[in-house]
Amino acid sequence: MSAPKVIVISSDDEKFPVDPKVAEKSLLMKNMINDLNPDGLQEDFEIPTPNVRANVLAKVLEWCEHHKNTIFPDDDDDDARKSAPVEEWDKNFLKVDQEMLYEIMLAANYLNIRPLLDAGCKMVAEMIKGKSPEELRRIFNIVNDFSPEEEAAIRRENEWAEDR
Amino acid sequence: MPFPVASDLNATWSFIQPGLEFILGAQGDQGVTPKMYMNCYTAVYNYCVNKSRHGATATSIAASSDSNSYSLAGAEIYAKLDVYLTQFIRALKKEPSETFLEFYVRKWTRFTIGAGYMNNVFDYMNRYWVQKERSDGRRDVFDVNTLSLIKWRSEMFNNNSDTLISEVLDLIEMQRNNEIVDTSLISTAIKSLVFLGIDVQDLKKPNLVVYISYFEKNFLEKTGEYYSRESSQYLQEHNVVDYMKKCEARLAEEISRSNNYLEDHTKKHLLDILNKVLIEDHANEMYSQFLTLLEQNETDHIQRMYKLLYRLPATLGPLADTLEQYIKEQADKAIEKVKLASESQAEAKVDGKPTKKSAAGAVDPKSYINTLIAIYNQYNEVVHQAFNKDTRFIKSLDNACRHFMNKNSIAIPTPKAKCKTPELLARYADSFLRGTSKEVDTVDMNPENLMIVFKYLNDKDAFEEYYRRSLAKRLINGNSKSEELEESIIQRLQEENSIEYTSKMTKMFSDMKASEDLKANIKDHVSESIVKDFNPLILAQSMWPFTHMEDYDLNVAPELQAPFEKVVEIYGAKHNGRQLKWLWNHGRAELRANLSKKGKAPFVFTVSNLQMMILIAFNKKSTYTFSELHEIVGAARHTFESHLLPFTKYKLLDQSPPGPENTGNADTTFTIVEEYKSKKLKVNFTSVIKNNEAKQEEDDANKEIDETRRNYLSACIVRIMKSRKTVKHNELINEVLPQTLSRFHAKIIDIKRVIDQLIEKQYIQRIDNNTYEYLS
Repeated sequence: MSAPKVIVISSDDEKFPVDPKVAEKSLLMKNMINDLNPDGLQEDFEIPTPNVRANVLAKVLEWCEHHKNTIFPDDDDDDARKSAPVEEWDKNFLKVDQEMLYEIMLAANYLNIRPLLDAGCKMVAEMIKGKSPEELRRIFNIVNDFSPEEEAAIRRENEWAEDR
Repeated sequence: MPFPVASDLNATWSFIQPGLEFILGAQGDQGVTPKMYMNCYTAVYNYCVNKSRHGATATSIAASSDSNSYSLAGAEIYAKLDVYLTQFIRALKKEPSETFLEFYVRKWTRFTIGAGYMNNVFDYMNRYWVQKERSDGRRDVFDVNTLSLIKWRSEMFNNNSDTLISEVLDLIEMQRNNEIVDTSLISTAIKSLVFLGIDVQDLKKPNLVVYISYFEKNFLEKTGEYYSRESSQYLQEHNVVDYMKKCEARLAEEISRSNNYLEDHTKKHLLDILNKVLIEDHANEMYSQFLTLLEQNETDHIQRMYKLLYRLPATLGPLADTLEQYIKEQADKAIEKVKLASESQAEAKVDGKPTKKSAAGAVDPKSYINTLIAIYNQYNEVVHQAFNKDTRFIKSLDNACRHFMNKNSIAIPTPKAKCKTPELLARYADSFLRGTSKEVDTVDMNPENLMIVFKYLNDKDAFEEYYRRSLAKRLINGNSKSEELEESIIQRLQEENSIEYTSKMTKMFSDMKASEDLKANIKDHVSESIVKDFNPLILAQSMWPFTHMEDYDLNVAPELQAPFEKVVEIYGAKHNGRQLKWLWNHGRAELRANLSKKGKAPFVFTVSNLQMMILIAFNKKSTYTFSELHEIVGAARHTFESHLLPFTKYKLLDQSPPGPENTGNADTTFTIVEEYKSKKLKVNFTSVIKNNEAKQEEDDANKEIDETRRNYLSACIVRIMKSRKTVKHNELINEVLPQTLSRFHAKIIDIKRVIDQLIEKQYIQRIDNNTYEYLS
């Protein structure tokens, strides 16, 4: 008998059989596997993820598969987590349209995959860095709802942060 | 079932509550499905995300200057959970058939598993809302697992702690009474107390407050009562040895119990209690059996007692004291026996024929020293086997040995006598080092025993004096058993004491070696005379225990003068200015005497130097009067006479008129026999020479010891005074005493005498009643 698989089921009922090791990149799935199988995984185990669509789940599991042997810095070690640069593979992996990027980040947050969420956040931070408010409004599709007075006041308050 | 609207708290709670029922086991032992688990998680997630998203937009602008006050959703659902847990725990019901403890453990076991699941189901709330609240400083918000435990504590434990703890303690007591109990009940209940010790400030820090205040205190108290009762009762019905076995068993049981289900924190306190009620409180009973065990040589039981008392080292003190006292008493008894045996032997001899030995002098060094050693070995064995070489008991043995080896009825027969042990030990050594002793007599005598007694001697200087005297005799008489053995003993004495201690003896050995060289040098000159072999020894006066005696000054026969003169000449050339004195009273000569029947081998006579001169005179003439012979030979009249006597006694010389009363008359004549009759070819004429030199020698030795001590003390005092300039009397005494210990135990009166002498000689002076000053 082959080793038991974890079958992750998307909200639209697509089944993704993966190695337990891959699924366990998600702390949520890892806890659940352990809670419901206190004696270890004996047979295939289905996990429904009612908040993740198949196309996003596929991406997320691809990331998990790639990183199944990666050891990430301890969750509690905030500094190490924040300062680590996004690795090249992750950068390429996350070169997707904005909508998809957000979906991946939401899924990572929901499934509790800290390193993937961190990578996503850092990508978004890269996008913001060095941009003017006008550019940011365009990139993130934000309507300017400040009155000119409000805008001037905010500029004055944050003058110290201006890049001169 | 469709997911509830994310913003609807009540709908969300209604959606997850059935899942929680499963998780906490309210629905019996039915399993939780992955779907149920995931649905609950997702509902909590949706609720928190939705609320946070909307809540955040609503407040973010208003709070733009205070970026810390954005809010996350969770408070409401947390409150719902709090209420739910309270109700859930309150609703738990004991089955009529089970004890409270059984109920508690059964429910606790299930509840904690559920709390673990629930913690993961509410993970999203834990991760964001709880985390945020706690990092903002709230201490009444907890992750779900901790919240569950806190609820258990307030709703279940606090209301029932008395029942719970007393049932646990009852079970432990039943186990102590050898009843079979379900120990998992005990261990689970105790473990729950550890989990319930939550520090609201730091959830990660383990905390034993609940365990200690509810359980440990009661447990220790009960334990003390239990064993105090048991041990007193047991001792009334059993002997101490059985009691000690019981203690061992009980201690082992309690230690294994504490390993099984007590926290490490309790172990030390538990052992303290046990040690007190089992051991300290009954130490007196054990002490009272100790002597009996010693007498019966019950090493195993003594060891048992030692190991028990060792748990409280302070309780060993009386045992060590008793041992010391006991060894002293046993030694006294054994030595008294030796003394009585030798006295009765001496009396037996007195009945037969007269003996001049005094009763005390009759003690045989071998049986004396062997008795000391036997006592030492016996109790050294006890210290090693039963007391695990514990330094306390080694000290007892040392103290006892130091006492009985120096102070006993043989060593000090009368209160003021000098300790005889050093002398007896030196004689002991002499008997196994002398080549002339029979092998069978010395088989159980050895340097190891010598060194053991030496270690404990107070008057090591006296031993040196006696040992050196006997060594000197062995060396000049050439009858040492083995040079190697002699030197190894000197080496060991030196290691045990000091180089200084053995310096004289070492010098004696080098004198012997130098004399060998001298002998080789004069060999050629010797062979020309009637002297076949000549073995002169040059001995440094201050190292050797010999003094020149004028009574022995004799005239060297002309036939023998050449080699003697040669020695003086060669030595004088080498060491200008040194004076040589012949010690005629020492040394032996062997003479070949042609007084045998025709065709038989000549006799060999062993004689003293003086006797040699007498016999050589008869080469010229066969008859002399006493005064003629004395004229020729020289020496004091009484000395001459005592050396002459053996010849008439053994009929080598015919005396006329006969009879010892006439020997010393000037006109009495002595004629050498024509043909000597003796069964042996070798005849020794020295052993019957009558003299009182033995007594003299003992006096010399004592005198020398006293003098050396005085010198040692004055050197010591001068050294101290020189460095300190002024010293108070008591300080001076206290400094001198320890400095002498490696050689002898100085008496205070002796130190005072030496101080007076030094004052007389103006090395120091008194500046007031009890202070001295150094005079340079």
